[in-house]
Amino acid sequence: MNKETKSVCEEINYEHLFRTHSKSLFNFVYYKCGDRQQAEDIVQDTFVKLWYNCSKVIFDKAKSYLYTVARNLFLNEVAHKKIVLQHQSLSFNDRTNESPEFLMEEQEFMIKLKKVIADLPEKQREVFLLSRIDKKKYSEISEIVGVSVKAVEKRMSLALITLREKLGNI
Amino acid sequence: MEKYIKDNAFLARWIAGDLSPQELEKFQKSDDYPVLKRINDASQNLKAPTFNDQALLNKLQELNNLQSTRPKGKVVKLIPNWAYAAAAVVIAFGLFYVMTMKSHFETGFSEQLAVVLPDNSEVKLNANSHLDYKTLGWKSNRALQLDGEAFFDVEKGESFKVFTDVGMVEVLGTEFNVISRDSYFEVQCMEGKVRVTSTVLKKNVILLPGDAVRVVNNSLEEWDFALTESNWTLGESTFKNTPINQVLMSLENQFNITLDKSNIDSNKRFTGAFTHKDLKLALKTISVPMGLSYSVDKETGIILLNSNNNN
Repeated sequence: MNKETKSVCEEINYEHLFRTHSKSLFNFVYYKCGDRQQAEDIVQDTFVKLWYNCSKVIFDKAKSYLYTVARNLFLNEVAHKKIVLQHQSLSFNDRTNESPEFLMEEQEFMIKLKKVIADLPEKQREVFLLSRIDKKKYSEISEIVGVSVKAVEKRMSLALITLREKLGNI
Repeated sequence: MEKYIKDNAFLARWIAGDLSPQELEKFQKSDDYPVLKRINDASQNLKAPTFNDQALLNKLQELNNLQSTRPKGKVVKLIPNWAYAAAAVVIAFGLFYVMTMKSHFETGFSEQLAVVLPDNSEVKLNANSHLDYKTLGWKSNRALQLDGEAFFDVEKGESFKVFTDVGMVEVLGTEFNVISRDSYFEVQCMEGKVRVTSTVLKKNVILLPGDAVRVVNNSLEEWDFALTESNWTLGESTFKNTPINQVLMSLENQFNITLDKSNIDSNKRFTGAFTHKDLKLALKTISVPMGLSYSVDKETGIILLNSNNNN
């Protein structure tokens, strides 16, 4: 099928969009609010909105439509509380041969890091996490967040500097 | 930290691996590098919480299906359908009315009326006459229905037609007079060219200025008249060899009187004129040359005409 004639209203295309973007959309919102339930709700509302407006959204523009809607939905949630990111702790399979002290120290560092990331300003945090967790390119982040690539780089650098200062020397 | 940072996107470029080897080397020697490297390494091992997209998709499909089947509330139209129907009917009637709209002019006894047609042509209606024409599309179809007597001054344009019961006058020029009463039909051309078609005789005559034609007793008579002669529009009716009945009818129309013509010879012809201003003078100008006398019935107001020869 020609890309231009793809309709979002068709179940197959809609599902394809969902499978492609829902996870990263969820992450994006989660980095913003740090609330899993809220992020899930916003993703759900965003896709409901996409379905509702499927005849007005061009398939190729659906991605940026989704992120814009999610951003606005997030902003509409008036009070977003101070957040605590709860990242899934990672299994350190490749480091099982390390000493228990090292593992302890590593875990401590992770906890500290998570806390500091959670304390980052929202704008820096979402850029940092989109880059580090979702491995998104700056250009892609700029599209998601809705700012220029330059601004994304600036936020990224600022996030690193803040993290560095807060974690101190280890 | 400032030693190696050259711009505010420096760390971002480092993350993206866009630093030049020299920059990287310098940066790796700094105190911050180990910490930042550790932050970078550690943060890359972070994971976002699991996201059950299949569950959400199922939920969404349910929601979306629900939404498409959910009654969306009654939509009340701002303009109900019957209003369109009503408007259509009104417009249809309006159009019908305009299309078939006729202007009607009528003069009673002793009346004269000047009518200006949509193309600035002028019609002067003599007493006791009717004139009808369609207002719409007048320019493309200049046609009039006349019963009585009228003088036409026609503007140039498409053919100008005057329909009467007995014949049709088509204008090729500009000024002409038409009389159509009962079976009598008379046309005088003052200016330009006029084509007269008698429907009764199925004949065609083209009149030039000063020509006149009349249909009387199913025969066509042509004659000439002096253009300088005054005509009825100037307050005087002029006749030339006209049947006496026609002359008297004209007199009746002009003065709103009733004449008893039973005692006179209707085959007589009258040449002359009568004024519209004075009935007595008019009666005299007709009766004297025709050898007639008249008497007025005091009760009915009917004027009885008698032929002098018979008495």
